[in-house]
Amino acid sequence: MSEQPMTAPRRAAGTLVAVSAAILVTVILLAIGSPNPARALTSFFLGPFSNRFFFGNMIDTFGLLILVGLGVCAAFRAGVFNLGGEGQVYIAALTTAVVALSMPTAPAPIGILAATGAAVLVAALLAGLSGLFRWAWGTDELITSFLISAALVPTVNFLIVGPLRNPDSNLMTTVRVAEQFRFLRLLPPSTLNVSVGAAVLLAVLAHGFLFSTLRGYELRMTGLNREFARYGGVAVGAYTVLPMAVSGGFHGLAGAFFVLGTHHAAIEGFTAGLGWNGIAVALIGRNHPLLIIPAALVFAYLEAGSRVAGLQTEFTFELAAIIQAVIFFLITAEIVLPKLRRAHRERSAP
Amino acid sequence: MMFNGVEIMTPILLAALGGLFAEMAGVLNIALEGLILIGAFTGILVAAATGSLAVGMVAAAVAGGVLAGLLAWVTSRLKANIFIAGLAVNLLAAGMIPFLSTWMFGTKGVLRFPDLPRMPRLLVGVHTGLPLLDDLLFGHSVTVYLAWLTAVIAAVLLYRTPFGLRLRATGARAESAVVSGVNAVRYRSIAIVVSGVAAGLAGSTISLRLGVYLPNISAGRGWIALVAIYLGYRTPLGIVIAALLFGLTDSLAGAAQGFLNIPGTILLGLPYAITVIAMIFYSALRSTKPRRRRRRIDAHF
Repeated sequence: MSEQPMTAPRRAAGTLVAVSAAILVTVILLAIGSPNPARALTSFFLGPFSNRFFFGNMIDTFGLLILVGLGVCAAFRAGVFNLGGEGQVYIAALTTAVVALSMPTAPAPIGILAATGAAVLVAALLAGLSGLFRWAWGTDELITSFLISAALVPTVNFLIVGPLRNPDSNLMTTVRVAEQFRFLRLLPPSTLNVSVGAAVLLAVLAHGFLFSTLRGYELRMTGLNREFARYGGVAVGAYTVLPMAVSGGFHGLAGAFFVLGTHHAAIEGFTAGLGWNGIAVALIGRNHPLLIIPAALVFAYLEAGSRVAGLQTEFTFELAAIIQAVIFFLITAEIVLPKLRRAHRERSAP
Repeated sequence: MMFNGVEIMTPILLAALGGLFAEMAGVLNIALEGLILIGAFTGILVAAATGSLAVGMVAAAVAGGVLAGLLAWVTSRLKANIFIAGLAVNLLAAGMIPFLSTWMFGTKGVLRFPDLPRMPRLLVGVHTGLPLLDDLLFGHSVTVYLAWLTAVIAAVLLYRTPFGLRLRATGARAESAVVSGVNAVRYRSIAIVVSGVAAGLAGSTISLRLGVYLPNISAGRGWIALVAIYLGYRTPLGIVIAALLFGLTDSLAGAAQGFLNIPGTILLGLPYAITVIAMIFYSALRSTKPRRRRRRIDAHF
């Protein structure tokens, strides 16, 4: 983190280095760890495009990543941290399934609205709570959001594996939601569905809000300099609680779409990693709603590649976590490529 | 219960004492969780390979220190955001350990090392006549006494040496420290490495006491340690008490599981729940005092 905001080319260079390093590390690990390196590498790079199934799933993930990315961005932009995305997505997904299952005969619009609304509300409350503690007592929202979410994940696991489990399935899953609530599939047999359009639309709307409205301006100002914003008459307290709630709301929406669009049921641990991915996407997209769209695409590709590589070789491991780790290490670093450094110096010379 | 509580508190205490150095230097090190995990894995692997618990613990401390050194390097030299880079350490541990485990042992599940020496116990059979005091003080694993010794060393280092003074100055007001000729960046980096060494050591005490490595063996202790720093009012003695309280609650919860009939799955979330509730209460009680300095988060990172 620098005293001065980084210049655009330096930021672009940092992003490029981080993403390239992540790909490089992936290639090295696949090469040394896999019994068949050539096959693993081919599946990693080309797998996502090899058939409709893998390709459609990748685009489906892309939509979900936009939503979680926007969620993280909402908090970051206001200068607060939401580290509870993992749990918020998961709890929202369970909420969606429970509400949808409780009204199996309801007409589609009502059921979908109720399930999605409940999911967004629950996740927004969870994250908003951390914002509230922050505002009232100065409790570090970074730690509380993580802890609240981590405390609740085991309970969700218990509910899915225990009372809500579908006895007819071998998987640890709830019963599938009623037919009329499921989103239209676009590229069967993949899970790609119409919700990806909603995600892209929301990114555009978020951009409009952030850069073309007074509230968006106040939010950005609060994030850049809280004291200055307070001096300028911004109700900074509201921009502590509300961005956290909005952040949770986006995560909740991702959880709802994950159930109604992707899986049609809540499965144990099925959202794992989505929350961390949201942070990675927001950082690659430099907390810019429109840049989050390509960032989500890049990350969806990496994620899809590692999933295909895992499926097609016997060697499976948490490649996604390692990709995230490498990106997190470098994405906020001020990396100046040698060539750029020269250009930079020339430009700053009088 | 007291006896178990003291054993359970040890890794939390060690990690929190290390984290205190970082905190004092003005760094909230959220990577403790991952550093503990790395320590637990490295410690038991090296101990099994060499047949020596001590060598395993040293290796764990080195592993934690090296990884924390990497964290210090990207944050000081490359000016990376400490929270994002800290998350990277946690994710690296979560990703690399299953990879290495699969690579070396063909499984990412439980690793058993039956030939591992047992952790020696000290002062076994010493009595004072007060059972509670006996359970608190005597018959524990060597690591328990090591952790207590570390608390004393930490107190001396932080409050009775020029090093400690400069470290605390860095955290209290980095600008003034720099003006007084203190290399704030170096002190901050040293503090991060110290917290890594302590967290690595903490991790090894978990796995070496059990004699097995389980996936996610740290089970949130890094986060609990972070909160223990606040609850202990950022002093070594306070941290000892806070860690003991967490240890007792944990051992109490283990006992409660039996007669309260709570499903074990839900209880996995209990350490986090207790920690966050404790943290919220603490800040609510403290909120009349001046707020903690605000972290600077640059929305343009």
